[in-house]
Amino acid sequence: MRVNRRGVLGFGMGGLALRGLMGGLGPALALSGGAARAQTAVALQLSWLHSVQFAGSYLAQARGYWREEGLEVSLQPGGPNAPVEPPVVSGQALVGISAADYTAAAVAQGAPFRILAVAMQKNPFAIASLPANPVRTPADLPGKRIGMALANMPVLKALCALNGIDAAGIEVVPTQYDAAPLLAGQVDCLLCWATDLPVAMAVRGIEAVTMLMADHGYALHSQTYIATDEAIASRRAELVGLLRGEARGWQACRADPDAALALTLESHPDAGLEAAVQALQLDRQLPLMVSDLTEAHGFGWFTDETVAANIRTLALLGREVSPDLWDRSLLEEAHG
Amino acid sequence: MSGRLLVGLLLLLLWEMAARTLAGTHLLAGPVDVAGWLFQHRGLVGRALAVTAGEAALGLLLGTLAAVLLAALAVLAPRRVAAVISLLMLFLFCLPLVATGPLLRVLWGPGLGPQVTLAALAVTFTSYLALLVGLRAAPPVWLDLVRSYGRGRLSELWHVRARGALPYVMAGLQIAAPAAFLGALVGEFTGAERGLGLLVIRALRELDAPATWGLATVAAGVTVAAHAAIAAVGRRLQAEPPLILAAAPGRLEGPLPVLAALALGLFLWAGAMEAAGLSPFFAKRPWDVWAFLFTDPEAMAHRAELALALAQTLRVAVPGYLAGLLAGAGLAALVILAPRAEAAVLPVAVALRAIPIVTTAPLLVLALGRGPAGTVTIVAVMIFFPTLVACLQGMRQTPRAVLDLFESHAAGRGARLLHAQLPAMLPAFFASARMAVPAAILAATTAEWLATGTGLGALMAVTASTSAYGMLWSATLVIALAACLAWGALGLLERAVLSRTAAEQLA
Repeated sequence: MRVNRRGVLGFGMGGLALRGLMGGLGPALALSGGAARAQTAVALQLSWLHSVQFAGSYLAQARGYWREEGLEVSLQPGGPNAPVEPPVVSGQALVGISAADYTAAAVAQGAPFRILAVAMQKNPFAIASLPANPVRTPADLPGKRIGMALANMPVLKALCALNGIDAAGIEVVPTQYDAAPLLAGQVDCLLCWATDLPVAMAVRGIEAVTMLMADHGYALHSQTYIATDEAIASRRAELVGLLRGEARGWQACRADPDAALALTLESHPDAGLEAAVQALQLDRQLPLMVSDLTEAHGFGWFTDETVAANIRTLALLGREVSPDLWDRSLLEEAHG
Repeated sequence: MSGRLLVGLLLLLLWEMAARTLAGTHLLAGPVDVAGWLFQHRGLVGRALAVTAGEAALGLLLGTLAAVLLAALAVLAPRRVAAVISLLMLFLFCLPLVATGPLLRVLWGPGLGPQVTLAALAVTFTSYLALLVGLRAAPPVWLDLVRSYGRGRLSELWHVRARGALPYVMAGLQIAAPAAFLGALVGEFTGAERGLGLLVIRALRELDAPATWGLATVAAGVTVAAHAAIAAVGRRLQAEPPLILAAAPGRLEGPLPVLAALALGLFLWAGAMEAAGLSPFFAKRPWDVWAFLFTDPEAMAHRAELALALAQTLRVAVPGYLAGLLAGAGLAALVILAPRAEAAVLPVAVALRAIPIVTTAPLLVLALGRGPAGTVTIVAVMIFFPTLVACLQGMRQTPRAVLDLFESHAAGRGARLLHAQLPAMLPAFFASARMAVPAAILAATTAEWLATGTGLGALMAVTASTSAYGMLWSATLVIALAACLAWGALGLLERAVLSRTAAEQLA
C-alpha cells in the first residue's frame, strides 16, 4: 500500500522538486548528537496547527528522547481541512492524535484503529459565556442561545442527557468556530474547548465564564494516540518507543512549562504564535492532562473504569463501541 | 486620477469609522490598527506571503501548462473529443476543496504538494477555456493560407493559432492569478507548515482583528497587483483583451460526448484510486458511492439526507447567483449611463472581490444576520465583480455606427442603453454567467461551512470529521454534477437568446 503512492495520479511532474523544496522541520530540530543507532523515520500526525497543544512532543524531539529510542519522529501539523485518520490508515503517519468520538466514528466506518494512550484525561469541551449572563451549570442552559458547529449537536444532547436537561429548551445557533458571535451578542454562550476561545477572550481582556463539561459527567478521552492493528502487530517496538518519548516529553513539560513555552515559540517562528495566548493556553491545558491515574501510573494512563465511562458517553453520542477499542499494552511497555 | 484618490481616501475614512463603531466586537479593525499590526509583524507576514505566493506561482505555472497541453489537444482533435475533454475539465474544476484537500495531503505527504495542486486546479479550467476560444479565433483566411502551402495542422497550430491566442491567454491569466492565490491559501488548511492561510486561521480563532484584516489587506493587495501586472504585460505585448472570454457553446454534439466523458471520468477515478493503492476507508471508488446511495440498507436515508442538504445549498446559491449577476450587469449599466460613477464603483468592486471570503464572511453575517440574507450576499459578492467587468467590456464594444445612428435621432441615454448597449452586452453576460456557476457553488458551500452550519458545505465538513467518507464522496459528486448541469442548461438558454440578438456569435 505504501509503495509508489505518489506520482501515479499524474502529479509526477512537480513531485520531485516539491518534495525537495519542503525540507522537513523535524530533522532540522533534532540535535545532531553522536547516536550510533540507526534511526527509523516515523511520523506523528497532530490534530491541529502547531501550538503549545503539542508542547510535550516538541520537547521530546528537541531533547532527543525519541532519538534514544532509535526514532526520528516528524511532527505533521493538522488544520481545518486535515483529518487525522486518512494519513494513519494509509501508513503515512505511524500514530495520529485523535479523540475517542472521532476514533469510534472511524472504526464504525471500517478503519482498524486502537486507542493506545490518552493525553487529555479530562475532555476539554466547555461552555463559555459572559459574566453578565453566565452559564455555570447545565441547569443554566435552557432559554439560552448557544453558538456551535452543528456537527457538535450530539455533544450538547449528551450533556443534557447526563444532567437531566431538556435539550429542546436551548436555542442552537450554527456559528463558525470563533468567539466573535458571543461578543457581538448573537449568542449567549459557545460550545468550545476550554483551552482556545476562552483563552483568546482572556488575552483580549474579556474574562469569560467557562463551564467544563467534564465536570458535569461528560467523560470522553481526548487527544488520544491512535494506531492501526497492522502497525500494532508489525511495528510494536516503534510504537512503544514513540509513546515512551512522548510521555517523557510531557513530564518535562509539566516540570518546566516555561521551557516548553519558549521551545514552542522559537521552534515555530512562522506559525504566528502569540506568546501571551500560548502561555495561558498551556496554563489551562496542563491541569486537564493530569489525573489520579496519571499521578499513580504515568502519562496517558486509562483503566477499565474510565473506558467504561467513555463507552457510556459514546452511547449517548450514538456510537456503540466495545472495550477492544482501547489497547493499553503498549503504554504499559513504555512505562515498564 | 485625483477623483480616484479622493474615492480611496473616502473609503479609508469609512473603513476607519466602521471599525470604531464596531469596536468591542473584535470583528473589524480600522486602517490605522491594520497598518500598525502589519508594520509590527512585517517579517512574519513577509515570510508567509513569500511561501503562499510561491505556491500560487508554481500552481499557476503548472496549471497553465496543463491547460496549454489540453487546449492544443482539444483543437487538434475532432470536436466531439474536445467536448469530452472540456466536460472532464469542468467536472474536475467543480470538485469542492473540502473533499479534495485531505486526499491530496495523503497523496503528497507533508510539504507544498496539496497547496500547489489546489492552486493549479483553480486555474486550469479557466485558462483552458480562454485558450480554447483563443486558438479557435484565428481568421479562416490565415488558416487557408497555411493549408495552401501544404502544411499540416501542427504548423497551423504553431504559426497561426498560437499567435492569435495570446490576448486570450493574457485575459485568462488575469482571472487565474487571483484564483491560484486563493487555491494556495485554502490548500494550507490541509496541514501546511507555514503560509498566509495558517496565519488567517489563527487570527480568526484568537479574536485578533488587526491581524485578520491586516492579512485580508495583504491578500487583497496581492490580488489587485497580480491583476494589474498581467494587464500591463498584456499591453506591452500589444495583446488587447478580447471581447468575450468564453465564447458561446459550440454546436450541440448530441449525448455521445456526455456519455463518453462520464465513462472516462469513472474509469479515471477508479483507476487512479486503485493505482495509488489508496485505502477505501477514505478514498471511495465509484462502486462504493453507488452502494452507499442505492444498495446499502440505509441507502434511502442517505439519499434523503443528501437531498435535504442540496436543497438548503440551492436556496442560498441560486438567489445569490442571480443577485450577483443582476448587481454586476446593473452596475455596468449605471457606469455606462453615468461614466463618472466608474471611479467610485470599480475600486470597491475590486476590493470586495479580492478580500478572501473567510475574513469577510463573519462580518457580512454580523451585518446581515445568520439567515439567508447573509449567505446570499456572500455568494453575490463573489460573482458580481467578474460579471461587472465582462458586461462593461461588452457594452463598450457596441459598434460606433450604431451609437452614431442613435445620436443622429437624438435618442436619450436610456434608449441607447436599452436598444443598443444591452444587446451588445449579452454575449459577455452569458459567458460570465456560465463561469459564475462553479464560483457560486464554491461561495455557498464555503459560507455554509464557515457561517451557517447548514447545507452541503456543512454536511461535507461534518462528514470529514466523523470519517463518513461515503457521504462525503456522494456529496462531492452531487455538487460537481449539479454544477455541470447548470452549466449545460445555461448553454442552451444562451443559444436561444443569442440566436435572436447576436447570431454571429454562434457561427
